[in-house]
Amino acid sequence: MILSPGAILRVGLLLLLAVVLQLSGLSQLSILGGHIDLVVLVVAAVAYYGGSVSGCATGFAAGFLLDLMSGATMGVSSLVLTAVGYGVGRFREVRDPSHGLLPLGVGAAATGGFLVGFAAVSFMLDVGASVSPLVIRDAIVTVLLNTLLALPVFTATRRLLRPALRVDPLEVRRRRRPPRETGPLGLRGLEV
Amino acid sequence: MYDRKVVRRRRATLAVFVALSIALLTAYFGESGGGFFHAFQRGAQEAFAPIETGASRALKPVRDLFGWAGDTFDAKDENKDLKREVERLRAALADAQTAQRDATQLKGLVGLGEDEGFPRGTEPVTARVIARSPTVWYSSIKIDKGSSDGVKVDQPVLAAGSDPDASEVGGLAGKVTSVSGGTAEVTLITDASIGVAAQVMPSGATGVVRPAVGNPRDLLMEFVEGGRVTENTTVATSGFTIDKGQSLFPRGIPIGRVSDVDLDEVEIYQRVHLEPYADLKSIDIVQVLTRRPRTSQTAGVIVP
Repeated sequence: MILSPGAILRVGLLLLLAVVLQLSGLSQLSILGGHIDLVVLVVAAVAYYGGSVSGCATGFAAGFLLDLMSGATMGVSSLVLTAVGYGVGRFREVRDPSHGLLPLGVGAAATGGFLVGFAAVSFMLDVGASVSPLVIRDAIVTVLLNTLLALPVFTATRRLLRPALRVDPLEVRRRRRPPRETGPLGLRGLEV
Repeated sequence: MYDRKVVRRRRATLAVFVALSIALLTAYFGESGGGFFHAFQRGAQEAFAPIETGASRALKPVRDLFGWAGDTFDAKDENKDLKREVERLRAALADAQTAQRDATQLKGLVGLGEDEGFPRGTEPVTARVIARSPTVWYSSIKIDKGSSDGVKVDQPVLAAGSDPDASEVGGLAGKVTSVSGGTAEVTLITDASIGVAAQVMPSGATGVVRPAVGNPRDLLMEFVEGGRVTENTTVATSGFTIDKGQSLFPRGIPIGRVSDVDLDEVEIYQRVHLEPYADLKSIDIVQVLTRRPRTSQTAGVIVP
């Protein structure tokens, strides 16, 4: 991603919107015990389209904002989301994926990673009480909900970041399509 | 090929942000509630509070919508649970009510046996009604005791009243008309074929009690002799023979209470209405008097 002031502003606004939506609305919507985790999806989407550097920077900023506004222990979300953003960004850089449905898997993996990482850090820090097995059920529901929401979030993020993207995976996919075989027989394969 | 500079930059970025996070975490965790980061967090929360409040209000309809959907699902589950609970409680209530009803009727029968004028030495056998005549005449029932329990044809049958706690503890219900090994059929006193020699207590007027067919709460006492009958007096079996055959009902079994007296124009003939003590509409438990009392007085049945 081209780190222009406009791109940084867009990502900043996107994160702010995501955090506000998360805290004011989505966290209060319990669906089958779980809830949508929009911030993770946004971080994953930015990392997916922007790469690992943008991903870990976005993850840190999102975590910082989230902890700041929610009153949670500062640094926990930042640490985990930094790792999530970096991981998704590296996946994008190494595998160079272009399948249209990949955001589903990326969203699910990012959410799962965030939940596991957050639980691990929380355990290491200050959770001394026994934990109900229902946490696992809720985590699974959250992963499923985020998987369902991944495509629209990724699409919206892509549209928002498109001017600042060095490489758009959808464009790459379009370029990889085989040439259309049209026209007279002698001209097939010449993309006439 | 990867550009080393890019790789270094990427790793450095990661290291910086991770280090920043850990530093933030350590600092926040290590400081007191009034420390810099805590104060910064409080300040930020205050600053963002209006935005969060506005967003919360704006998103309330969405939350309500999801909440409504969730509540609907919960309500459905709750409804299922409550339905199961209601079914269970209904079954328990039915059991309890059945037990209560049985106890009430048994209490009535026990009270009847302890009555002063009730014939002694009759060896009552308690039986449960297992079948009932489906017609509105309430003319016969089937009980779960038969010849193997000592039940024989023509033995008198008693039933509890509708309210054993009141003075009307029960009374004559009918007689056994057929017996098998384990069951017996009882023809009730409301059947048109039944007639019972009766006596009004304490005036001593005698007559024959016959049913008013179709109304199990009304019996008629006819051929009344021996004095004027008044309302609310008790009518019991007289033990008199009114037929050539063997008398059936021992003296002293209560039949009912005089509810009305019709006089003809010359006030000679009385037509007495009785309300039977036995609750003939809903009998569940009866007693069959399997032995004749020691006294010789018995009443008979009119053969139609």
